[in-house]
Formats: sequence, structure tokens, C-alpha cells
Amino acid sequence: MPFSFIDIEEKKTRLIGFLLFFIISFYFVTAYLILLVLKNSVLASFYEGQRGLGWPTGKETLAAFGIALLIGLIHWSSSTSNLIRRMSLAVGARGVDEKDTYHQMFKNVVDEVSVAIGGRPIRSLVVPTVACNAFALEDFAGRAVIGVTEGLLTRLNRAQLEAVVGHEAGHIVNGDCLSTTVTCSLAELYEEALSKVSKGFRHSRGRGGIVILMLMFVMGTMKLLSALLRYFISRQKEYRADATSVRLTRDPLSLAEALYLISRNWRGMGAEGEYLESIFIMSPRPGYFDERQGAAANWFSTHPPIQERIRILADMGHCDPKTLEENLKKFQWVSPVAKPIVSAEEDKTAEKKWMVFNKEQKWEGPFGLEELRKLTFLTPDSWICPHGEQSVRHAYEHEALMPLFGGEAKAEEGAYPCPHCHTGLMEVNYEGAPAMRCSYCEGIFVAQDAISRILIRRDMTFPEEVVRLAEAATKQKDLFQKGRTRYKLENPFILTCPRCHNKMRRQFFVYSYPVEIDRCVSCNGLWFDKQELEVLQYIYEHKDKFFDGQGF
Amino acid sequence: MVFLLVIAVLALLFIFWFFLTYNRLVTMRVRVQNAWSQIDVQLKRRYDLIPNLVETVKGYMQHERQTLENVIKARTQAIDAKGLKDKAQAENFLSQTLRSLFAVVERYPDLKANQNVLKLQEELTSTENKIGFSRQYYNDEVGRFNTLIQMVPVNIVAGTMNFTKKEFFEVSDSAQREAPKVKF
Repeated sequence: MPFSFIDIEEKKTRLIGFLLFFIISFYFVTAYLILLVLKNSVLASFYEGQRGLGWPTGKETLAAFGIALLIGLIHWSSSTSNLIRRMSLAVGARGVDEKDTYHQMFKNVVDEVSVAIGGRPIRSLVVPTVACNAFALEDFAGRAVIGVTEGLLTRLNRAQLEAVVGHEAGHIVNGDCLSTTVTCSLAELYEEALSKVSKGFRHSRGRGGIVILMLMFVMGTMKLLSALLRYFISRQKEYRADATSVRLTRDPLSLAEALYLISRNWRGMGAEGEYLESIFIMSPRPGYFDERQGAAANWFSTHPPIQERIRILADMGHCDPKTLEENLKKFQWVSPVAKPIVSAEEDKTAEKKWMVFNKEQKWEGPFGLEELRKLTFLTPDSWICPHGEQSVRHAYEHEALMPLFGGEAKAEEGAYPCPHCHTGLMEVNYEGAPAMRCSYCEGIFVAQDAISRILIRRDMTFPEEVVRLAEAATKQKDLFQKGRTRYKLENPFILTCPRCHNKMRRQFFVYSYPVEIDRCVSCNGLWFDKQELEVLQYIYEHKDKFFDGQGF
Repeated sequence: MVFLLVIAVLALLFIFWFFLTYNRLVTMRVRVQNAWSQIDVQLKRRYDLIPNLVETVKGYMQHERQTLENVIKARTQAIDAKGLKDKAQAENFLSQTLRSLFAVVERYPDLKANQNVLKLQEELTSTENKIGFSRQYYNDEVGRFNTLIQMVPVNIVAGTMNFTKKEFFEVSDSAQREAPKVKF
């Protein structure tokens, strides 16, 4: 590692000292300025006739310093307590979902990189947004976190993800992650306050306005200063983290590809926490100085030029950026989710015979449906093969066999009941996200946090029927503008939520995606009848086709 | 008198330096041992995953008995292997057989469409990577340790206090050697 533990500790102490000094002197200057202004404007009217008010006296300066010290310490302690929790809330990150295929892969990758840096535990977080970005956080106790967005998980392959996580781990082992986290946390207070005040200004009329304008001026000055503080942390740290990533994963080309892909996508501008730009692998706010070299750019941009980063990495891999770009055009993203094979003859199940793999690990059969029902060892998990074919699958993957297990599924303790058929729902993996499907009516229950993942991911290909349904749904524009549903319902609360047993309301997913779904009034879980989810996905994934600028 | 004092100060300085260096070497040795136990954890994890994988794919692979048996045999060999060299060799053999198993899996579209198989494959890939990374870390640490104990002033301490060179956990598999992603 580039630094020994002692070096890092020393660096940490120096950093804390420097930042504390900065904060307190910053408050002192501010307090002094305010004192100066007050003395020469407001107070001057009390001391009429007395000259020489211009500069504060020694006592007043001392008082200003005392106040600055107090406020500075309060600010410091509030900003540095619970550092990781507050910062990950600011970007909207959550823990990984163990049942989710993508999340599991990401967690594995983080664990691998944590092994590569010597077994230091790193927690993994995911931000549920379409944006493409990654970040790392660290606190004084040495707890570290690496987070990525859902958008990144659906666009990078494993090697590229590994390289990105390696880059973030580089920040952690190089020791610059802590300084970035703390400075961002210190600045966050103002960024947040400023955005609130400016909102207040827009809504206020008349007298309050002038006060708020003054407040905004003060805040603006503070913001500028805190921005300077943030830029003080050099751009060089990104180059160093890139180098560390290459040293850990030995794969510079994947990192170059990942940077290229991230730079070509939306990086989260305008989303939650975009102002925390220096914690991300690439700034969410594209700015004037981003692609420039030189002193001014070094001062006003948190990240080095992306072209330069890619060029250096491509050089390491003995490849020039042009070829890299060409290769990326041919780049095929591989989904970590299994694609079910649907054979055309599936429907002709009437006379079908089945082979079953029994407990002694031998194939038995062929059996007809009625004979299968009598087999005691048959469970939904059993291996089964249509007679005369070579496709071995679990019994639950064959829809024709579902009636065999109906009784069992109903009896299963704790299974959520289907709102239509009242049989137990089966846990399935839908585009890598956990969902629950009814094996009779093929409706799907999706929890609130999983739906955005399903919409972002693009593992599925849609049959002709879904495409036609989607086209039909988007065409009837005038019908749904009047209410929450396409046709007026006397009582929109038709179904009962399988999870919390509250009522579900029939309504459009949103007005722009006019697919009728049932949303639970309490837990916001969604119930999709057969094909409703596919139609919604199709509309979402082909937005451009349906909304041609004059749409809704 | 002054001469004696100088000698005494020098001797004290030397003892101080000696202790400091000794402590540094001990820290590094512990880190090497720690890095080794990291590898061990990952290897054990792989031993645990293999039976699951074999169980899952068994049903599909009636004609691939040989591949499956090879994997199981390689696993047993790896568990029984003693000594760093044998262990490295056995582990490499196991990696090879696993790779050939996954190559076979690629040929069965039914297997590729099975979420369980895919999950296990992901777990095993991850474990393979972790083994690779922990080996990389171990070798880095061993390299640093070995360099340090041979350097000129430190080798006095290392020699008197019995610090010996550590062995690398090497990749003796020629296929693995030939497939680096980057040529530096």
C-alpha cells in the first residue's frame, strides 16, 4: 500500500487540524465583517456625533473570535458525527438487497476488492436512480462505504464494475477519501441551507424579500468559500485512485471503458446530492473547466479532464483511445440474470409425458399428469424433463405442472396470498429483482423499492402481444386524462394487498405511462395483472417511440 | 571520558534502532501471516461451494460424468494437499477443472437459463477472484518482507533474530501465466 497505517494516521491528524483551523478562521472573518458592517451602518445611528467608529476595538474582536470559535465547533461536531449515515442519506443511497441478482453481484465485487486491499471491510450501497455514478465515503473511525447507482449496474459489465470499485477503494486506501468526505460534509450544511433560502425567496413577496436577499448574500459568500475549500483538495487524487485501481485489478482497459461509458451517460445532474460532486468518480455537474488543463482548471474543477484520464489508462493497456471507442461500439452488455427459454411447443401439454429425477438420482417415467400427481417425492423443486426432449428444468418452471402443486402452495405457511386466486404467491426473480408471482393468474406483486429497479433494467425481450398492448394503451390519450383510471369505476378499491392486507387502489402507474395497476394504500406495493408489468416496461423502455415531443 | 560518553550514546542509539527494526519486522511478519489466512478463508469457501454446484448441475449432465468427477477429485486433492507448493499446484488444478466445467455449462442452454446455476456460477467466480486477489495481496506482502530482510542495515537484525524469507504462493499453471489482460 502506498501509505503505512502510521502515515495515514498522521495525515488524518494534520487534516483534522487544518480543517478545524479553516472553519474557525472562516467564521472569524465572517463575524468580523458582519461586525464591521453593523458598526458602520446600524450602530452608527446610536452613536451620532462620535467619530472613529470605523474599526472594531480589541474587545469586540475578541468577542467575534469567541463567537466564531463556538459556531465553528458546533458546525464541526454536527458535521462530523454520524458522517457516513448523513452523507449516504444526502445522496439517497440504501443498503443492498440480498435477494437482488444485480445487488448481489455488486456486493461480491466490493468484497473482492476489499480482499485485494488486505481484507479491510467495505460496506456496499446502491442509489436507486437511473444516473450513472459511483462514490466512496469514509469516517474517522475508518468505516468505509462504496456506493453505485442502479444505472451504473445496468450499464457496466463485471470487469468494468470491478475497475470502478477498485477506483473507489483507491480513494480509501490512499487516505483521501476521508478528507473529501469531511469537506463535503462541512459544505453540505450551506448548500442545503442555501437551496432552502433561495426557495423561500422565490415564494415570498414584499417585505420579507429584502431580509432573505441579505441572507442569500451571506450564504452565497459562504458557499463560494466552501467551494474553494473543496477545490483545495487536489484533482490529482483522481489520477492516483485510477492508478490504484489498475494496481489492484490489473485491468486498465476496463476502467477506461467504464469511464467512457459513465461520461457518455447522465451522471446525476440535478438529482439528490449532486452538489457533493467531489465524492463521485466523475462530477455529476458537467462544467466549463472539466475538460481543461492549467491552473484555473485545477482550482475550479474537482475532477481532472476525462479525456486525459482515459488516454492515460488506454496507454497502460497499450491501446489508443480511438480503438477503445471502436471496441466499445461493439460492446455487448451481458446480463447477470438468467433468461428463461420459452419453447413454442410448450402449449401442447395435453398428452405430454414427463421424466422425473428421483431421490436415488435416477430418471423415472414416463408419467402422465395423473401419474405425476401420485408421486410422493415430487416437489416444485424436482428436476423434470418432457419425455423425448433434452430440456431438464425444475418442475415449477413448467406451467402445465402447476396444478399439481396448487394445494401445497396454499398450505404453505406464511406465503402471501394472491389477491385474485388466494393461493400462495411464489417468490420469483424478475429482472434480477425480487417479486412474487401467482402461478395461476400470472399476476405479479412488486414491492415499492423494487419497481424502479425493474424499470431501469433491460434484460427482457418482449413478445409481439405486449408491443401491441403497449401501443393500444398509449393511443387512448383523451380517455385517461379525466381520472385515475381509463373507465370510471364505482369502487376503485378492488383488491387486498397480499403483504399488509390493506386495500389496493386501481389507478394508472403514472399518467404518462397509462398502464392500470393496483397500488396498496399503505405499503405502496404494486399488483400487476397478467402482462401489465411487461406492457409498462415496454412503454418505459421505448419512451422515445411513444412520446415524440408532443405527447402528454 | 567524552569518548566513553560518545560510545555509550552510540550504543544506546543502536539498541534503540535495533528494537525499532525488530518491531517493524514482527509487524510485517504478522501481516504476511494474516494475508495467508485470508487466502485460506477463500479456499475453504470454494471447497464449500463446489458440492452445491455439482449437486445443482448433476441432473442436467448425464453425459458429462467425467467432468464432474474431475472436479470432485480435484477438490479432494486440494483439501488434502500439505505444504505451500503442493497446495498451490492442487489449487491450480482445481481452478482448471472448474473452468472446464463452466465451459461445459456454456454448451447447455437449459443450464444457462437456470437462476440457481447462474447464482452459483456468480458465487464461484467471485470466490475465484477473491482467491486471486488475496494471493496478489499475500505475494505483495511477502515481496515487501523479503526485500526488507535482505536490505543492508536491516539484515543484521533479521539475521540475528531469525527472520527467514517467506515463500510466494505461485501460479505454476502455464495457461494462467499466459493470459494476462495487459502487457506492460
